[in-house]
Amino acid sequence: MKISKAIFYLIILISFLLQTACNQAVQNDRNVEKNISVTDFRGKEINLSKPATRIVCLIESALSGLYMLNAENRIMGIPSAVYNESAAAQYAVLDQRISDKKLSSPGNWDFLSMEKLVALQPDLVIIWASQQESIEAIEEKGIPVYGVFLRSFDDIYKEIDDLGKLTETSPRADSIIGFTKHEVAGINLKLPAKKQKSVYFMWSQGLLETSGTSSTANELIELAGAKNACQEPQEHIVINLENLLQWNPDVIVMWNQYPKNPDDILNMAELQNVNAVMHNNVYELPPVFWCDLWTLKFQFAAKHLVNYCAADNSEKFNLDLEKEKMIFALYGEKGEELIK
Amino acid sequence: MGAINQAITVKNLSFAFSGLKVLDDVNTTIEAGKLTFILGRNGSGKSTFLRLLAGLLAFKNGEIEILGNKSSQLSFAERAKITGFLNQQHKAVFPFKVEEVVLTGRAGCINFIPKKSDVAMAFQAIEKVGIAHLQSRIYSELSGGEQQLVMISRLLAQNPKILLLDEPTSHLDFTNQMNLLRLLKTLVAEGLTVVSVLHDPNMAFVFGDDFLFVKDKQIIRSTPNFEPWDAGFLSFVYQSKLEAIPYKGRAILVPQIKVVTG
Amino acid sequence: MNKRLLIILLYILPIPALLVSLFIGPSDAASGGEIFKSVFGFLSGESASGNNPELLNAVVFDVRLPRILLTFLTGSALAVSGCSIQAIFRNPLTDPYILGLSSGAAFGAALAMALVFIPVQLSAFVFGLLAVGLSYFVARKNGNVSVISLILSGIIVSGIFTALLTVVQYFSDPFKLQSIVHWTMGNLHNAGWKKLQSSFIPILAGILIMFIYRWRMNVLALGDDEARTSGINPEKDKLLILLAATLASSSAVAVAGIIGLYGLIIPHIVRMMIGPDNQQSIPLNFVFGGTFLLMIDNLSRTVSGFEIPIGVFTMLLGAPFFIYLIKKTNIGWEQ
Repeated sequence: MKISKAIFYLIILISFLLQTACNQAVQNDRNVEKNISVTDFRGKEINLSKPATRIVCLIESALSGLYMLNAENRIMGIPSAVYNESAAAQYAVLDQRISDKKLSSPGNWDFLSMEKLVALQPDLVIIWASQQESIEAIEEKGIPVYGVFLRSFDDIYKEIDDLGKLTETSPRADSIIGFTKHEVAGINLKLPAKKQKSVYFMWSQGLLETSGTSSTANELIELAGAKNACQEPQEHIVINLENLLQWNPDVIVMWNQYPKNPDDILNMAELQNVNAVMHNNVYELPPVFWCDLWTLKFQFAAKHLVNYCAADNSEKFNLDLEKEKMIFALYGEKGEELIK
Repeated sequence: MGAINQAITVKNLSFAFSGLKVLDDVNTTIEAGKLTFILGRNGSGKSTFLRLLAGLLAFKNGEIEILGNKSSQLSFAERAKITGFLNQQHKAVFPFKVEEVVLTGRAGCINFIPKKSDVAMAFQAIEKVGIAHLQSRIYSELSGGEQQLVMISRLLAQNPKILLLDEPTSHLDFTNQMNLLRLLKTLVAEGLTVVSVLHDPNMAFVFGDDFLFVKDKQIIRSTPNFEPWDAGFLSFVYQSKLEAIPYKGRAILVPQIKVVTG
Repeated sequence: MNKRLLIILLYILPIPALLVSLFIGPSDAASGGEIFKSVFGFLSGESASGNNPELLNAVVFDVRLPRILLTFLTGSALAVSGCSIQAIFRNPLTDPYILGLSSGAAFGAALAMALVFIPVQLSAFVFGLLAVGLSYFVARKNGNVSVISLILSGIIVSGIFTALLTVVQYFSDPFKLQSIVHWTMGNLHNAGWKKLQSSFIPILAGILIMFIYRWRMNVLALGDDEARTSGINPEKDKLLILLAATLASSSAVAVAGIIGLYGLIIPHIVRMMIGPDNQQSIPLNFVFGGTFLLMIDNLSRTVSGFEIPIGVFTMLLGAPFFIYLIKKTNIGWEQ
């Protein structure tokens, strides 16, 4: 009975200690000189006294942006996915440290080891803005976080522009954004004036996973002068097979990394009455590294779509040439090795 | 004297279970300092009556007065000081020790944590019932007879003036039944009022002071003017042909055996 | 006397466990040796000893310490709540999760992640509370809550929230889906001082109420009739204890994610060690529940290069134990 009374007081004591500990720990809003200031996709202002030199980037698309900006020396941590996913080979070319497996990875955007992250002593962390719990935990340790949320291609321009400011590479950022905008304008010139084809965009999870009108996939389709077969408002949606038959798209575009290939779709008995299947218009985009919709490489994907939708006799992009042009423009001298 | 002697007075009490009347306009009294048995057939409403006395069932019509207090106005804690209740059978889910079970009888007097005096009272109650040797045993591992003794210790630890027992001997063998009823007799001799539902009228007639018969939604009470040792009356109560054999001024009941010869 | 020794040991155990946990983690910058060097350096008056004192400080005090404290509190909250709920419902096979807490909280968290603008922790807490409340009121009939109807309504409410969770997952893109799945496997990797600050007051308040009512639980564990006739209003006490247990455990779940079966198992282990007397077992559930989850968390951080979600760990350890309990104990469904 003595012990229980002691515990009672102990709990009260612990409460007070915790309260003070929390207060002290949380109150480390350091005063930073506002030499560099950008507003991220959460609407939060990020202030740095000097350009970031120790960046932990937990998003693969933003990481590719940093390489385009020639800011690789500032990268201290990368998402673990880079080591395991399809783009591993390209990243190995871009960075000797990745090739040697020496660039540390504190986790992925969805699951990270706070301790490994803190041990890297980053001065900037880049992560999806939706990871509010992780962001809160990182910021609490006095580490600035740049939260990314990409809804449109304009958002990609903003992201690259911001990353340029944060890494002291604004001229390079302007140049690659300028290149991309020029290419986009070039696509517009090539578009046929009249008939819009309808495109069904198929994500890697399966035939019925697609995107509605509030998505980058939709923007891509429209950029290529076509119309999204799925006119639902959702960003991501799982549809019914009947919807697909009813929409009857002219073209089906498959995101890469899919275990199936266009032949599987062409051979599906239930799709034999769909225009795209009847006219052999089912295509798979190249691997994600070359046409990631969340990077400046989106225009290369758009060029593919233009070709998919083009009539047989009309002028098409020479995709090999376009790829070479893009890679040299975005990755500079390393482009040659990448193309191999 | 009369009024002081009444432990419990029941006035115009009616009670129904989901529309089905169990007791209809019952008037009766239970005297203090006596061992009163409630007798009757299965389903006659004996247990319901006892649970009404214990405050476990709420009634709408009539009133029960317990030692001058209106039952409907007693709080749980106030009632616990006056009456204690023993269920027919109690099943423990957790393997509590006997001493822990007995100590819970003090709940009504304990704010949150038992004091030393509560523990002492629990131990006294254990000794009084003569189960000190079981004190540290696991309650759920005891025999039925031992478990009933533990629960009676628990009641004594609670220290009420009136004990209300629902068929305390129903799961006990003959010897344990006698031991338990002797214990009740001792407690009454020490000043407690004990009211108990009992199946066996013979045991009741051997040990009891007063008797309540529940029959046809009514309660018939034995009084000096009405002694129930009449074979006709008892055959009516138990709806079976009985012979009453005189025993120490009372009676022992024996069923009439109908021999069918062919 | 052996038991007394065991109890004293259980009370002392958290101290070495907390200290050892401070030394465990994936980064070399704060290994045991480095910490010793730094402590020794501090004692001998050198200011900058060790390789990187600032980093060491950050890792130990800003990463490990809040996580350790949060893990401990979470384990304590789940164990104490589980013990209390088992006692008041006289059923050794219940815990807050069986009453729908986990599915409610998981749905709340998923909803917040899908809609982005709601705080995850708050939403998980509110829906966890809502689920248990719903189970309770569905089960309540004529002012009585029977064990069977409570378990059944818990199953129904869990089913409803699991269905709603599936709806949210179905409409989420793969990125959000992945976050939701991770959350439901345990969320301690996001621990920090802020999370601790926002959760420890409700957790400790709930535990304190259960601690105060711990002996009453012995009375309630005997049964409603017994409690009522010995002077306690069982409905009122049960409701209060259930509220306290739900407050503590949903605050814990809101920060820590789903840590399955923990609130069921720890009370059993404690009961096996020291018996069912809640007066002793509630404080022991506090210390042992906290310590044991801390050990499991240490294991999940060190057993492989990456972190194994703690909810997966407790579930894998807990399921065989649960089966063992079902086989071994007779559950008192009667009464």
